[in-house]
Amino acid sequence: MKLKKQNKHLSVEPSGWYWILYILPALLIYTTFMAFPLLDSIRLSLYTGNTDATREFIAFGNFKKLFTDETLSIRYGGAFLHTVIFFLINMIIQNGLGILFAVIITTKTMKARSFYQTVIFVPTTFAVLVTGYLWKLLLNPVWSGDALTKLGLGFLSQPWLGSTQTALVVVSLISCWQWMGIPTMMFVAALKNIPQDCLEVAAIEGASAWQTFTKIKLPLIKPVIGMVTILTFVNNFNAFDIIFATETVNGAPNYATDLLGTLFYRTGIAGEHPVAIADPGLGAAIATITFIVLLIGVIPVLKLTRGDN
Amino acid sequence: MAQSGSLKKQNRHIFYHFIMIVWSFIVLFPIYVLLINSFKTRLSIYINPFGLPSKFNFSNYTTVFKDSDFLIYFKNSFIVVLLSLLLVIIFSSLAAYALAFWKKRNSKIIFFFMIAGMMLPIKIASIRILEIIKALSLLNTIWSLIPIYVAMGIPIGIFILTEFIREIPKELSQAAIMDGSSRFRIFTHIIVPLTKPALSTVAIYNLIPFWNDLWFPLIFINDEKSKTLLLGVTRLFGQYQTDWSKVLAVLTLSAIPVLFLYLAMARQFIEGVTAGAVKG
Amino acid sequence: MGSWRADDVTAMNNLLDAYSKVAPDVEIDFKPTNPADYNTTLRLQLDSATGPDLMYARSYAPGIELFESGYFADCSDIEGLSNFTESNKAPWMTSDGKMFAIPFAAVSHAVYYNKDLFKKANVNVPNTWEEFLTVCAKLQSSGTTPLSNGLADEWDILETFFFGALPNYVGGASQRVKYESGELKLNDANFVKAYTAMKDVAKYCPNGFESVTYNDSQALFATGKAAMFIDGSWTVGTYGEATFDWGVFAIPAPKGNKTAICFHPDMAITMNTTTEYPAEAKAFLSWLCTVEGATTASKYLPAGFFPMINVPISIELKQANEFLALNNGKETDARFVWPLLLDLYSPMDQAVIKVMKGAITPTQAANDVQKAYDNLDL
Repeated sequence: MKLKKQNKHLSVEPSGWYWILYILPALLIYTTFMAFPLLDSIRLSLYTGNTDATREFIAFGNFKKLFTDETLSIRYGGAFLHTVIFFLINMIIQNGLGILFAVIITTKTMKARSFYQTVIFVPTTFAVLVTGYLWKLLLNPVWSGDALTKLGLGFLSQPWLGSTQTALVVVSLISCWQWMGIPTMMFVAALKNIPQDCLEVAAIEGASAWQTFTKIKLPLIKPVIGMVTILTFVNNFNAFDIIFATETVNGAPNYATDLLGTLFYRTGIAGEHPVAIADPGLGAAIATITFIVLLIGVIPVLKLTRGDN
Repeated sequence: MAQSGSLKKQNRHIFYHFIMIVWSFIVLFPIYVLLINSFKTRLSIYINPFGLPSKFNFSNYTTVFKDSDFLIYFKNSFIVVLLSLLLVIIFSSLAAYALAFWKKRNSKIIFFFMIAGMMLPIKIASIRILEIIKALSLLNTIWSLIPIYVAMGIPIGIFILTEFIREIPKELSQAAIMDGSSRFRIFTHIIVPLTKPALSTVAIYNLIPFWNDLWFPLIFINDEKSKTLLLGVTRLFGQYQTDWSKVLAVLTLSAIPVLFLYLAMARQFIEGVTAGAVKG
Repeated sequence: MGSWRADDVTAMNNLLDAYSKVAPDVEIDFKPTNPADYNTTLRLQLDSATGPDLMYARSYAPGIELFESGYFADCSDIEGLSNFTESNKAPWMTSDGKMFAIPFAAVSHAVYYNKDLFKKANVNVPNTWEEFLTVCAKLQSSGTTPLSNGLADEWDILETFFFGALPNYVGGASQRVKYESGELKLNDANFVKAYTAMKDVAKYCPNGFESVTYNDSQALFATGKAAMFIDGSWTVGTYGEATFDWGVFAIPAPKGNKTAICFHPDMAITMNTTTEYPAEAKAFLSWLCTVEGATTASKYLPAGFFPMINVPISIELKQANEFLALNNGKETDARFVWPLLLDLYSPMDQAVIKVMKGAITPTQAANDVQKAYDNLDL
């Protein structure tokens, strides 16, 4: 490639081909094992049929079905709504508390900071199955009812996970409980990255803790907030394991906890119990729409939170 | 003034401690329930789910150690996870370095192409991936898992690292260039040390899904000697009945290496940050 | 050999050892998968040509679909198929009479009851549904939870309880066919009675039963915290450590109806069309059809799974024998929706759950299911 004209810079700007060498290993593995299979499976959204032999091209038929078929459109609409609620609860509670905890942990004069930091992370290390089992045990009136009544907390003894009104919120909270460690960790890193001099100047100028937080810390960690938002967004819209562990693959009770991730799994991979016959094309259609929604959400967030030094 | 300042500080600290203690309770109580029930027998959990075991039953833990299969599962998980994390870190930091410094449109296109992988559920591609792994003759070995985990970790690695590398002040690398340093040396001697917190974030972020993944071991591996820990645990799940006290014991043991790896990597934060806090 | 019965590793290995005495140069490895993932994993493996040589087949539609996709081999010509009755072969037969698997085991459904708690409350095994409700009331006033069934996992209340009781209200196979064809409506008086029965029994389930999972139900019964559990025969082996005396009785029909049993064909074994060892696989399958083979196999069947061969077989476990004996003199049928109406599984499930939660009336429930039936194009 041509060399860039040397004017102000004493250096030569490397050509694209040079940089591609750095990108190559990642690009190769990613394309072979992720991009290519995914693109091929997205292509399936335009087809119906279960095996290579029975496939038929139906263009946007699958997409139409998602919005017009009587049962399916109810499921899809429900799953979409539930996923949005799930995401909002996670954003506010998991990420909100994450920032709070990170501020607390990075307060140099606090004692027991590393203890708290480790405690926050412990649930994240556990397999979702364990989390599901534990909370199913704790939230079940049959097992915890007696203990709660003895403590005078009898009113807390409700079938939280079995009631269509409360199940989704409770499962979202359990998800926050489990994953709290990750955003906290990222916010801690971001806060620690803030140059000491900025904070010292603020202290000398007599800024209160709240002022320091809102005027200095928050703006400086904006890129990380953006990153955490995107990661939460992407993970929640594909969330599956937590529902599988605390409820059922069907999003019990009565589909109240059905998310796009569980709907996708039932439609495209496992099929409904007990029939268990999947429709990969339909599943791919669900995943494609989710993908588009995610793109639409991610790009503005990226633009808004790109840090300026 | 100094007095009221430190009084305010003290009050704030009490408030902070209060919040953290409440949260710690919310975390530690379920963990306590987990631990005590792993020492009970299958049905005695339900006689008194939140009380200490009347008799500490260690057999759930000892069977894991005596059962040589579980030791193999542990070993397999270690190898797969550590190797995958290593490759993810190396490949994505190299790529992120390039993408952060290469300012052309092609670079942006490649960047978006590579982070798009985060947004799709990898499970839909299962059949094609299975076919590829089969074609490479990696089925039923632990090596089948590494390419797919690395591929899954790269989008996130690139996403996080590109951003962090962009934040590094340009003056540092400019100075090195003027000193005649090669781009690669800049990478190894300046960029990598400064991004240690980000590198450990990427490692920890991927550690959890790699270690706890059930799906890919399930469809790639049938041989006992190649199973990973979580896949091995599913052996304890019957169609209609499960011995949860055993499952809890095994999964508690499974969480310990993860916790250790987290603590080890979290140290990198502190070291990395103190090294990089000096801003030109 | 692939299977969803991760529980049966020891038993099946014994069976396969016994077979290797018959066919010494054939080795069959039993490699079960996590039950929840069996269908998916099997499908993926078959789609990418990495499937097992022999595998378990589910009954009716799920099995038929795999056969029609070309994965299961045609078994119609295996000798010994005549050792099975027509109704036992039906679940693994396509509409044009092709057999695609060898019937292996069936399950049954009944009421497990704690004899000690019954004595304490001074009640006896009920013979009609009305008596059953009285027994529940007496147990409740004596301080025990009468029934441990719950709704959280959704499948159990339908498959074991509702379908277990349904033949008492709508009759056996000969009647079911009329519902399938539309001759009888799914919201007729019989069905409304069935849903009402579910509603009536809800207050005898544990407090908070909306959150009670299948695992919880087993635990409640096994620890003596509940007196009865309506469940399938597959758990009959797990109460061995129970500290109380227990037995089973059939879900009683309302006064005036005849008690029928839901005896459901569950597992069959078939071979992969692309297996490299078709002759050996076929040999194993025909061995299962012979009297000696089937008798040996039934020795190793897990407790609560009953052999389907048309030959009298005795079972070791006392309560399993009791279970099988419940069939005597009664009409039996598979679970109602399995043969043709699997698409109604979910609507019926939600209908039963809502009725038990008190969200809708039994009549509304029946109408909902009828509406779902009308929406299917059959």
